[in-house]
Amino acid sequence: MSMFKRSPWMVHYDGASCNGCDIEVLACLTPRYDVERFGVINTGNPKHADVLLITGYINEQSQPVVRQIYQQMPDPKVVIAIGICATSGGIFSECYNTKGGVDSTIPVDVYVPGCAARPESIIDGVVKGLAVLETKRAAWRIERKKRNRVFRLPFFKPKASPP
Amino acid sequence: MKMTYVALKSLFSSPATANYPAEPKTYYPGTRGHIVLEVSTCTLCKICEIRCPTGAIQVDREGKAWSIERMKCIQCGFCVDSCPRKCLSNDPQYTSPASEKITDRLDVPYEPPKRKPKPETPPA
Amino acid sequence: MSNRTIIPFGPQHPVLPEPIHLDLVVEDERVIEAIPSFGFIHRGLERLVEKKDFQEFTFVAERVCGICSFIHGMGYCQAVERVMGITLPPRADYLRTFWAELSRIHSHLLWMGLVADAFGFENLFMNSWRIRENILDIVEETTGGRVIFGAAKIGGTRRDVTNDKLKEIGRTLKTIEAELHAITDVFEQDYSVQQRLRGIGILSREDAFDLGAVGPTLRGSGEPMDARCEGYAAYRDIEVEPIVESDCDSYARCMVRIREIYQSFDIIRQVLCRMPDGETEIKVKGYPNGEHFARLEQPRGEVLYYVKGNGTKHLDRFRVRTPTFANIPPLLKMLQGCDLPDVPVIVLTIDPCISCAER
Ligand code: SF4
Ligand code: SF4
Ligand code: SF4
Repeated sequence: MSMFKRSPWMVHYDGASCNGCDIEVLACLTPRYDVERFGVINTGNPKHADVLLITGYINEQSQPVVRQIYQQMPDPKVVIAIGICATSGGIFSECYNTKGGVDSTIPVDVYVPGCAARPESIIDGVVKGLAVLETKRAAWRIERKKRNRVFRLPFFKPKASPP
Repeated sequence: MKMTYVALKSLFSSPATANYPAEPKTYYPGTRGHIVLEVSTCTLCKICEIRCPTGAIQVDREGKAWSIERMKCIQCGFCVDSCPRKCLSNDPQYTSPASEKITDRLDVPYEPPKRKPKPETPPA
Repeated sequence: MSNRTIIPFGPQHPVLPEPIHLDLVVEDERVIEAIPSFGFIHRGLERLVEKKDFQEFTFVAERVCGICSFIHGMGYCQAVERVMGITLPPRADYLRTFWAELSRIHSHLLWMGLVADAFGFENLFMNSWRIRENILDIVEETTGGRVIFGAAKIGGTRRDVTNDKLKEIGRTLKTIEAELHAITDVFEQDYSVQQRLRGIGILSREDAFDLGAVGPTLRGSGEPMDARCEGYAAYRDIEVEPIVESDCDSYARCMVRIREIYQSFDIIRQVLCRMPDGETEIKVKGYPNGEHFARLEQPRGEVLYYVKGNGTKHLDRFRVRTPTFANIPPLLKMLQGCDLPDVPVIVLTIDPCISCAER
């Protein structure tokens, strides 16, 4: 069962949803679908997580919470929007307090359609998200190397600009 | 004590886990997955566009096209029920996850029936 | 010396899949008061009646909550049908009852898993969700959706189930029921479960009634009240006896739900035996004009639907009073004076469904 090279940890946040998608996310953890066999663990702590799963659209009150969770997560990170609510607002897109889908607040990497999104669909979405995570990680590593190179040059001094 | 029995039983029974990504899932024929249009019978009557609760369907009469925003459709099947020509149907396979919002645009070869040309009034 | 502290609980908490925020005022380890704050998943869907016509709104009503979605759709349809003076064909009534009871079983199994998880019984959590998947398979086969059934419509049901299929489902349910006994026996007999639930979260009968508790929360305090006795849908032919426990604690509420699962199996058996033949829907003409209150029993308690039509295709007003909303004041009462580690268990014994409560 080595589908993924690493074991991604995910954190789940429920925006304004009907919780149909939430129980499907939970169902992914239970015996029938059991994503833990791939090493995927649902953690409650955003600082431990690589993947953020969001169900439901964003409203006035949950916007700062979502933004905060996103900022707390360490780089590189992937955001997966689960359900039609999270991708576009779906049936609630005409409500008076909607801000739109998750992409109105934070960048989204993978959209998982479905109302409610089926567990198979969520697994597929996570697989796709992890591919994105790998590319992000590679880019991030190059970035970090570049940054470190500057630090490792002890004699490097910027030339004083001529007066 | 009871729990030990349950736990031991699940140790020896076959696993409850579906081996999902390795073996594809078979769906029930009635599962509402995604909407399919049979283009040959559609008459571009716009009823599905009006009935859809999320506004996912767009019917373009001039451009002769029927399009659906997959990331807006909630698979309620209301369009399927209300189409007068029965050219829409629910396919059990769900739309696969993607990194951008997909819109499927299908060309519809429907020709509206020609109005009978008005009999030319003979010049008086 | 006592030290007062305020501990925030939520909105993102590992025990609950949904955001609820409670400010717990604690003195040492004892909770003095709990102050809730809401609005994280408020959607304001009652106002959507102005934008969607009354038939489309069935789909919105179903999405009030994803767990008891079918009963929400059914309740809305029932209210509108009463306004329009429609009598359903008997088969539609029976099919609706069948799906409503299936959704009660799946909701109670879901809750059973969550409460087991809250007191740290991972194995029980996994096992109840494993059995729940079998119920969902039946649901998916008959309605086409796993959690959002989408089977109710104004004037009947959107799908029919063949009689052969129903017979087969009856047999499947029998095996599921046998399997379930092993799990619920754990709740009844296991020492650690009793230790975690007995004598915790006391809600006396008077308090429960005065604070307006509904459903298993009320019946766990010894008050026999069940909206199914009103005789809507097929319940007019089927005898439903409210299940009552008199211990008033968390354990009593759990036992009410567990016995309700078996009651639901029993009701489904009766429904399948008596399923009449015939049409499943009738044509709906005209627009609703008038108002009606519909009462239904949900897995979490009694739900009220208010519908007011004005003779056009858009309704004037739609209002839903969901069971969790009614159960919040009793919850705050229960939390007063409990120990801090018991808070998650007590919150879960009212079976909170926050997206219902905030709509
Ligand atoms: S996408 Fe559908 S099932 Fe999921 S949260 Fe939104 S309304 Fe509920
Ligand atoms: S799909 Fe059906 S309802 Fe929609 S435009 Fe074509 S014929 Fe009309
Ligand atoms: S299934 Fe429902 S949401 Fe999707 S296109 Fe049809 S009517 Fe619109």
